[in-house]
Amino acid sequence: MPTFRGTRVSRPARTAVPLLAGALLLSACGGGAEGGGSAADGKVNGHITFQTWNLRAQYKDYFNGLIDEFEKKHPGTKVKWIDQPAENYPEKLSADAGGGTLPDVVNVSPDLSYPLAKAGLLMNLDKEPVTAKAKKVYTPEAWAGNQLPGLDGAYAFPWYLNTGPLFYNKALFKKAGLDPEKPPTTYDELFADAEKMAKSSGGKVATLAGVPAIEDFGRYGVKLMNADATKFTYNEPRGVELLTEYRKLFKSGGLDSQALSATPESAGRKFLQGRVAMNPGSAPDLVDFKENAPDLYKNLGITDAPTNTGKPNMYVMGLGVNDRSEHKATAIAFARFVTNQRNQESFAHEVAVFPSTRGSLEKPYWTKDDGTDEGRVRVAAAKMLDGAVNYTPVVMTEEMKTVLQNEVAKALQGDKSPKQALDDAVAQSNRLLQQG
Amino acid sequence: MTRVGRTERVVRYVLMLAVLAITVGPFLWQLSTSLKGPDENIYPSPPSFVPHDPTLANYAEVARIIPVWDYALNSLKVAAANVLTNCVGASLAGYALARLRFRGRTAAGLVFVAALLVPLESIIIAQFTTMRDLGLNNTLVAVVLPGSVGALNVLLMRNAFRAIPYEIEEAAVVDGANVWQRFWRIALPSVKGTLAVVAIFAFMGAWDDFLWPLIVLSDPDHFTLTVGLNFLHGTFADKPRVVAAGTIIAVAPLIVMFACLQRYFFRGVGEGAVKG
Repeated sequence: MPTFRGTRVSRPARTAVPLLAGALLLSACGGGAEGGGSAADGKVNGHITFQTWNLRAQYKDYFNGLIDEFEKKHPGTKVKWIDQPAENYPEKLSADAGGGTLPDVVNVSPDLSYPLAKAGLLMNLDKEPVTAKAKKVYTPEAWAGNQLPGLDGAYAFPWYLNTGPLFYNKALFKKAGLDPEKPPTTYDELFADAEKMAKSSGGKVATLAGVPAIEDFGRYGVKLMNADATKFTYNEPRGVELLTEYRKLFKSGGLDSQALSATPESAGRKFLQGRVAMNPGSAPDLVDFKENAPDLYKNLGITDAPTNTGKPNMYVMGLGVNDRSEHKATAIAFARFVTNQRNQESFAHEVAVFPSTRGSLEKPYWTKDDGTDEGRVRVAAAKMLDGAVNYTPVVMTEEMKTVLQNEVAKALQGDKSPKQALDDAVAQSNRLLQQG
Repeated sequence: MTRVGRTERVVRYVLMLAVLAITVGPFLWQLSTSLKGPDENIYPSPPSFVPHDPTLANYAEVARIIPVWDYALNSLKVAAANVLTNCVGASLAGYALARLRFRGRTAAGLVFVAALLVPLESIIIAQFTTMRDLGLNNTLVAVVLPGSVGALNVLLMRNAFRAIPYEIEEAAVVDGANVWQRFWRIALPSVKGTLAVVAIFAFMGAWDDFLWPLIVLSDPDHFTLTVGLNFLHGTFADKPRVVAAGTIIAVAPLIVMFACLQRYFFRGVGEGAVKG
């Protein structure tokens, strides 16, 4: 579901990523280590640039307000805000990194910060006393979510978090003879319900729209990587078990027949059309349902995504500071200002995301259901965030995700056994990991 | 013309209609989605093409979210410059490769073919650092420059010039015409069709390009239309009607351009294909 656009990369872009990543490393190595950059505890003044990822169109006033306030508070500073469109953001970052034009404060998710941090372009916030002090402002999970394995520290200030419940179509549940008030809560129940749904609809209504991605393996309780993130391990027996279950569903029609080519958008569309009974989503989707599929909206059920670990998945966004910034102290001050408790909370009131500052989620806005559907989803999701983890390993590049997707497809089509497919995916991904 | 049987004719038309539906269908779908009002279900099954309550509000919404006319103007500048440089550059280079004798002509031709094989993604960082060193990054000039003379266009023009019978130019030589006169008065007027093809390709290439303008431009004020329209994809929720309206805005100039040049276009595609 469109929780984060960053998880969605178009096909031609996928092939571009490794080439660009290679180019980035080459040029970054040539740049010399520790080149430039001013003191982190210097004076807060001068011009900095601040780059966000596709937020200008909707939240222009919010950001302009923040910048005005910051400039007033610190005379002599000037913040230039640039915003990048949704697509090809990783490529844009690589090009800027390679060309030495990376903005002072950049909006990154952990998988985006990893190559930048590895090339020495982002500041290690745990190493610098000024920034390490800020750690206590944020929830431990959010801070940990921005720490990069093998690089010994967090490379971005935690910003907004996102997670989402699972939506389901009560009308379709009723039609299949399932209790619309009792959605599945564990994977076993989910698989059983899907079988039933497929049988009663003659294979016309699927329960799931997409093939399992790495987050699904994580939620199922599969160990994804070894402790120091040098090897993938999702081919362990539990991983094989999950894929075997999906293969059964694919045959019976419990998994949509077009699942192999599904994108979050196409899955969402199928859910809107009533051809898929369950789909992950987040609060903004409610508006989408209300506007685009009024019938579905009337029959919408909301439940927690099933897990075997008890820990839901979350996505983490952060603000990284360019290690070679000429006004590092200003960049740090601004990044901390944007991610402070008050500003994070007000942003989360504007759009259905969640603040990563300590204590914020205990406020009534996120704990008391105000009776609206949005409120219900918000409270349900906020509750899930307690103890949620970012399952996607940060070293897992788009290319490695594609490798997994392709091998899963082969297993579902019956070209390979689930075990063989996962073994191959792990072997290929490990090879890619060593090259990077 | 041979006579065509009735059944065969029916089959032909059915096939043509099927292809028409496949090629035009998605476009009509976007058009219809862009005109649908907020209360209409855009995902009914079976799909309905005709909006019950047609509205232009989605187009206004596009203009509200992004400065669409500024972006369109930027795109138009880039596309016009690209058409100009490609038509001039490709016809000069194509004529030289086809008609002039000089040392290394074959090698030069091969270089152009080789240039076709280099994927943009592999050199995009190098291009970007070059533009930065020239002090041109974040300008529209930098968007135009790498594609200003396309290798494919040069080869197209070369083939078109080659297809003109040598005798015509020899006659001109006898009449005392120099190279420039032969190029301008004899060769160029006979390849108008291919020139139109080059113009359309150059326009479309510049108009549709996404990755390179995204990389080289940083300031949202300088964005071209394709890059700017990407802002319509919300970060947290999609608005399919608005995205559809943006798509129609982006495609409309291409349709107008093609409609104006189609007469030349089909002539040009055939030019050089058959040796007379």
